This record gives sequence, structure tokens and C-alpha cells, in this order.
Amino acid sequence: MSATTQLPAAPTPPSASSPAEAPRPPQRLRRGALRSERPGVRFAAWATVVVCGGFGLLPVYWLLATSLTPRDQVFAYPPKFFPSAPTLDAFAALASNDQLFGYLRNSVIVSVITAVLSVLVSAYMGYSFSKFRYRGRRSLMYLVLASQMFPQALLLVTLYSVFSAYNLLNTYTALVLSFTTFTLPLCVWMLKGFFDTIPDELVEAARVDGASRLRIIHSIVLPLAAPGLIAAGLFAFVRGWNDFVFALTLAGPEKQTLPPGLVNTFIGEASTAWPELMAASLVVSLPVAIAFIALQKYLVGGLTAGAVKG
Amino acid sequence: MTHRDVDMTSSQTHTLEHRKSQTTPRRLSDGQFAVLLLLPGVALLAGVVLYPLIAALVTAFFEQSLVLPGRTFVGLQNLVDVLQGDFLRLLRQTLVFTLGTTLLPFVIGFALALALNTKIRGAKVLRGLMLIPWLVPGVVVSFLWMWIFNANYGVMNALLQSVGLIDDPQAWLAQPGTAMGAVILAKTWQSFPWMMVMLLAGLQTVPVELHEAAEMDGAGTVRRFFAITLPHLKGIVGLVLLLEFIWNFQHFDIIYVLTGGGPAGATQTFATAVYETAFQGYDLGKAGALGLLWMVLLMALVVVYVRFSEKGEER
Repeated sequence: MSATTQLPAAPTPPSASSPAEAPRPPQRLRRGALRSERPGVRFAAWATVVVCGGFGLLPVYWLLATSLTPRDQVFAYPPKFFPSAPTLDAFAALASNDQLFGYLRNSVIVSVITAVLSVLVSAYMGYSFSKFRYRGRRSLMYLVLASQMFPQALLLVTLYSVFSAYNLLNTYTALVLSFTTFTLPLCVWMLKGFFDTIPDELVEAARVDGASRLRIIHSIVLPLAAPGLIAAGLFAFVRGWNDFVFALTLAGPEKQTLPPGLVNTFIGEASTAWPELMAASLVVSLPVAIAFIALQKYLVGGLTAGAVKG
Repeated sequence: MTHRDVDMTSSQTHTLEHRKSQTTPRRLSDGQFAVLLLLPGVALLAGVVLYPLIAALVTAFFEQSLVLPGRTFVGLQNLVDVLQGDFLRLLRQTLVFTLGTTLLPFVIGFALALALNTKIRGAKVLRGLMLIPWLVPGVVVSFLWMWIFNANYGVMNALLQSVGLIDDPQAWLAQPGTAMGAVILAKTWQSFPWMMVMLLAGLQTVPVELHEAAEMDGAGTVRRFFAITLPHLKGIVGLVLLLEFIWNFQHFDIIYVLTGGGPAGATQTFATAVYETAFQGYDLGKAGALGLLWMVLLMALVVVYVRFSEKGEER
């Protein structure tokens, strides 16, 4: 739809800019904008970067540095800003901790199933929102969007009893069902946005050829929206991976994921093993960082989906 | 069409499929099919969000325990208890936390977005690096700041002592006077990159031509910021402030892990109070009553948000 409106407009800029080039060449204007960054402005920009950047990055450095600090050096005051004998002992200690591997396994299982289920459910829902028109569609869309605004601490008050009634406490099922639901607002809206860009004519053509509606979804629409599905899946994975309060409340130690698992393992001891906790923190953060790098392209669009525009 | 003429075998299978589907007893209409697609998602939302929410609000009118079966209707008793008890303190603390964790990241994120939108060297790399705090899971944010604020070996004490801002090491998270500030700082560290990304995206939509024209007319950097940049960003600024406010109004993880709502309830918000009342006090009625009041406040914000996003959505 935007391609057709751009076609007549596309040839015009070159022809319009060439006569205009004599009075105001675009390149000189851009340089003018650069020159406007006077010393004062540049100084302010640098000062901001140093102060705010320091606030952002010094704690990251401290996380890294502590994870490499030998255990006996950690309990020194004032702390050493540069550990004198960096060591990987903390990581080695993690690797030999079977309990942590249990949490890790739970985290992987729950997050992967959440990702798959979330993509399936939100693809169907997003497709319905995108390609069909029916009464109550818009209200439902906004209800989906608003559902992320309901406080989870309050939902847990009864969810606990509900899952308990169905004997689902301390199961992966309870965690996967909860996590999947909370990914729906973003995933449904993001995928609806992707499906909106697939021309209706394509769907119509397949229909004329006699493809069933389900087959159109599975063999035409979903492959075309593959980048969106991957983005939604990664987002859902991260949502499950990062969750704390649901896994804390609904699952016992055998089924708990890493975030509450780490709290149970490290916090509240007489003397916390800080290097190990920081090392574990790095390990937990790693998959999220990888997912983010893969997701980068869709991120701002996905974040603003349903917020700024559809 | 042409495809069908050329490929005989596929056209045959198509007609076969067509005949088969005609002989099935009932063929769904488009509307029915669309609703069918919605069902899994709607079932999840109903089971995990809507039913628990309504049921939680209903418990506000009952005396009910998490661990004992049965409940008794007590009318408005729970609400009266809550309003006469903790409510105002919780409201004040929740508002302090929410305002702090909305405005502070906004200021830092906006300053960084403006600074990185100029052509200083390394801006691109810095934009990427600044996202790290936002990528880190909430519990990791809590662990890290718990370590930074540690009373005995914390780097915050060492830093402030070395510049002479404090004389003695402070137990930041264990003193009622400093705990809220410490929690706000930790949450700010997690939130500001998101603000920065959103505002940077907004800044890139501001037309350069306007700035250039204004500059030729002699407008300085500050003047152009208020006359051109800010009006252009009105929409996105409103959106990030509103969303961040709604999220922080119900934030749980960082507060719970860092302080558990303590010391002496000084960092308790609605989120941690509802959770504690239900899962440590086992008092579902009181938790429901607190939740009901919390929801009323939150709903007002959500209505504003939906109005806000409807303005941008036409389809």
C-alpha cells in the first residue's frame, strides 16, 4: 500500500534537488549543523556521557571485577577497585554446584516451552486481529494490551489457589501457562503488526486457488512473518527466563528457575559468597544478552508496538 | 489462475480438496474461524489474568486464609481495616518509589539521548553499552546493588568516603532514612536505558531542516531545544512517562529482593504489601482489600494509557 504511493514520488526528488543544488547543496547544510555543535554543546554532551555513562557502566564493571576477585579479597574494606589476582575460582565453584544446574535446567525447559507456546498462541490471535473484521475486535485488542497492566502480585493471590486446586503447584505447567499469558500483549500486537504488512491480495489469491484457511496461515502467512515469529519467540523466552515472582511462588525448589533459585542459594546466608553470586549473575544474564543481539532489529519497533502505533 | 492452467496435477488436488470440504457437515464462516483462532489466547487470558483478578478482588469482602479452607463474608470490614491501617503510608511510599523511578530514569535517559544524538565520537558504541543495565534480569540488578550498598564491604561507602561525602560507612539498605533512596537508585539503573532508547528513536524523527532554519534565524541550542525538539517529542515523552509510571506503580522484584519491603516497612509498596499479606501473613481477605484499592488507582492510569495509544492506532 505504501509502495504504490511512493512510486510516483520516488522519481521526483532527484529532479527536484538538482536545480535546487546551486542555492543550497544538502551536504553543506549538514556540515552547518555539525558546526553548530559549539564547544559548549560538545562539552555538555561529553560531561553528560561521562556522568550518566559512569552511572550506567561502573556497576557493570563492578559486577565483572567482583566475579573475578578471590574470595578472601572480597571481604576487605576499602574494596580493591582492581582485583590484584583475578581468578576464575567463582565460576569453577558454580560449575560444581549440582543444585544450580537443576535451576538452570528448569529455566531452560520452562523458557523454551514458553517461547514455542507463546508464538503459536499469539500468531493465531494476531492473525485473527489482523485479517478478519468482527464485532468486539478492537475492544478485545485493547483488553489484551491492558492485561499487562494488571498487577501480578495481586493475580498471584488467587492464581496460587487455582493452580493448587488443579494440583499444578510445583509443576512446569503452572509456570509455562503463566509466562505465556504475560507475553501475549506484546507478542500479539507485534505479530499483528507483521501480519498487517502482508498484503490481503496474497491471502485472497491463495484462497482462490483453493487453499484452506488454516493452510494459508501455516504455509503462506507464517513463513512470510518468520522474522516476527523469531522476535516474538525470543521475547517470550526472555520473559520466562527473567521472571522472579511467579517461579518463587508457584514452584518449589525442584521446579524453581534460576532467579528465585539464586536468591534461595545465596541471599540470607551469614556471609554471602559475593564472587560466586556475581559470577552466577553474569551467567544468568548471558542468554538475555544473546537474545537481545539477535532481536535488536525488531526491538524498538516491538517495544513501541501498540503503544505509539499498531 | 495461470498457475492452475499450467499445473494440472495441483489443480486436480485442489478440486478434490474442495469437494471434500464441501461434503463435511459444517463449514465455518470467516467470523467463526476468526473466533476459533482467538480461543487459545482468550482462554489463557481468562484463566490466568481475568478470573484470578476478579476472584482476588472478591476476596476483599471475605475473611479467608491461604492455608485453611472456607471463608466468611465480612462486608467492608477488610477495606475499613486497611484504610484505617497501612493504606496512607503505603500510598505515600508507592508514590515516592514510582515518581522517583519514573523521573530519575527520564532525566538520565533524556540527557544521554540528547548527548548521544550529537556527533560525538563513539556515540554508537556507547548507545549499545548503555543498554547493558536494561538487559540484566531484575534479580541480578538486585544482587549487584545489594553488593554495592553492602554496609561492611560495599563500594558505595568506599566511594563516598573517599570524596568526603560521608564520614562513616552507612548500612544503606537497613536504615529507614536511606533504604527507599537506595532502592530507587537500583531501579533507576535498570530503567534509564529503555527511556534512552525510546527518546533517541523520538529524536531521530525531529526534522533537521527545522533546526537548520532556526539556527539561521539565530536561535541558540537551548532555545531550539525548547522551541523545536521538545514539542516534537511531546508524544513519546508522554508515552514513556506514562508507561514507566504504570510499570513502577506495580514493581515488585527489585524491592522484594533488595529489602523485602523493610527496614520496618520503609520500602513497602502496594506490590510487596499485597504479596506479603497473602503469602507470609496468609490473610487473603486483607490482601484482596489492599489489592482492590490498588487496582482502582491503577485502572485510572490504564484508562489514560489506552486512550493515549488509541490516538495513534487507526485500524
